[in-house]
Amino acid sequence: MEGNHAYSKLGEALVKGDFILTGELEPEKTCDLSHTIQEAKEMAPYVVAANVTDSPLGIVTINSMAASHIIQREADLEVIWQLTVRDVNKLGIAGMIMGGHALGLRNVLSLTGDHTALGDMPESKPVFDLDSATLVKLVREMVDTGKINGHEIEHPPKFHVGCAGNPNAEPMEAEILKIGRKAEAGAEFLQTQVVYDLERTIEFLTEIKKYKVPVLLGIFPMKSYGIAKGFDTFVPGVSVPKDILAKWKGIKTEYKTDKKMQKEAYDQANYEFFKPFIRELRKKNLLSGVHCMAVHYPRVFPKLMEIIQT
Amino acid sequence: MVVITTKKPDEEVFEALQNYKVKKLTVVSCGTCAALCQTGGTEGAEEWRKKLEEKGYEIEAVIVSEDVCDNRVMKKDLRKIDDEVRASDAILTLSCGLGVQSIVEVIQDKYPKKPVLVSNNTKFIGMTERIGRFYLRCRACGDCLLNYTGGICPIATCAKGLMNGPCGGMVDGKCEVDNYERDCGWILIFNRLKAIGRLDLFSMLRDARDWSESGHQQEVIFR
Ligand code: SF4
Ligand code: SF4
Repeated sequence: MEGNHAYSKLGEALVKGDFILTGELEPEKTCDLSHTIQEAKEMAPYVVAANVTDSPLGIVTINSMAASHIIQREADLEVIWQLTVRDVNKLGIAGMIMGGHALGLRNVLSLTGDHTALGDMPESKPVFDLDSATLVKLVREMVDTGKINGHEIEHPPKFHVGCAGNPNAEPMEAEILKIGRKAEAGAEFLQTQVVYDLERTIEFLTEIKKYKVPVLLGIFPMKSYGIAKGFDTFVPGVSVPKDILAKWKGIKTEYKTDKKMQKEAYDQANYEFFKPFIRELRKKNLLSGVHCMAVHYPRVFPKLMEIIQT
Repeated sequence: MVVITTKKPDEEVFEALQNYKVKKLTVVSCGTCAALCQTGGTEGAEEWRKKLEEKGYEIEAVIVSEDVCDNRVMKKDLRKIDDEVRASDAILTLSCGLGVQSIVEVIQDKYPKKPVLVSNNTKFIGMTERIGRFYLRCRACGDCLLNYTGGICPIATCAKGLMNGPCGGMVDGKCEVDNYERDCGWILIFNRLKAIGRLDLFSMLRDARDWSESGHQQEVIFR
């Protein structure tokens, strides 16, 4: 953290070096956010902040800046506003950064965004005027200099800007060098893509340590066998280990008739898998926290809290 | 360099002819790029002559011109068939979008009411592997980056035209767009820069593209 200033709880925690937990909320194609707000309220006691996604997979959802603002206001939970460079040009994004600040947002996660061709409005123009590194640079310029393109901003925005990184990326070296660029641009934290492979994660985090960007490890606790299987099948580049899938399948069959017991068993199994995983990385001093990407599974947070507090 | 074209569906072309109430027409076919793409040339011209005659159109003239996109060539070639052009309700052009506009420029003063129609879709400036295999490798961005990217263009080979890739959509060197069937442009750049020992260039943080010169009409005038 440069300059040791903090504009948000997340910023404060990163300055202090607290080991933190962040969550993720995925607003959908709706103008009513009551479900997401409910979920946000459930995770609020455990997380420092939660990401609010920006039309993931290029599927149109409610705008992430509006959703971030409403969630922050209604659920009393600080958000990490995900902002992709897919849909808006540089001029528009600069305006959104000021707008986001005015709406009370203080953390922004710079993302490229899934291509429009993947989503449900493929005829839309893919913008990508900026990229995930130049967006970080733009935010830092506005925050640190109070200027945009050399022009004074009357009341400049205050934000902490983060980026993403993918330990599963192959070739890994290309991904590492790219993270170097985001660090140079001024990224203040990094959330990783979901990981299951400990060896690879250690290698990756060790490599990027030189950039001195605090890392929040992306994990995906699996609420059920169906979700684990779906994740394994549909998320490209990430595979759920076979033994995990087998264990989750076992839970599904064993507690077929007792849903309550089944839930407890899944929660416990997540605890048992992620606890040593996270502990190992912490022991090696590679992490600043954990970012839980499992949406619609807020009941897992007490267990995760237990993991990060021990 | 070739301007790559593909054929519009016949129905679309006939619809345009009907829309302009065309009965008699002149066909101008491009003998260069469109010939290579098999959307023009002598064969294309013959093909269209047949198709048009079958539908009862009267053909006044059919010419194959080497440079439909060059105003000077078009002036000369159209002058030779001026009577036929005058008698035609429209000109059908088997070329890229440049060719059509070149003809419009050349005839619009003399024949202000004569429509110029097009039978092709213009896809991109292409690199030729062999006939029938053309690839987009340059988007004519106006400020070439190739000296810094190992001679591989990020604007054309990255599906998002990113200046700082690869993005999170890359899996095993492939791109998220089109189902991971195509190479990620940024991995091609990475491999190439690695091979020539210039990963320092790959590590460079690049600024966003400057659109101030290229986001609007353009011309190159040096005389
Ligand atoms: S950078 Fe790419 S698009 Fe631009 S001129 Fe060079 S090859 Fe063409
Ligand atoms: S995967 Fe590679 S080619 Fe595809 S959009 Fe991302 S950086 Fe560009």
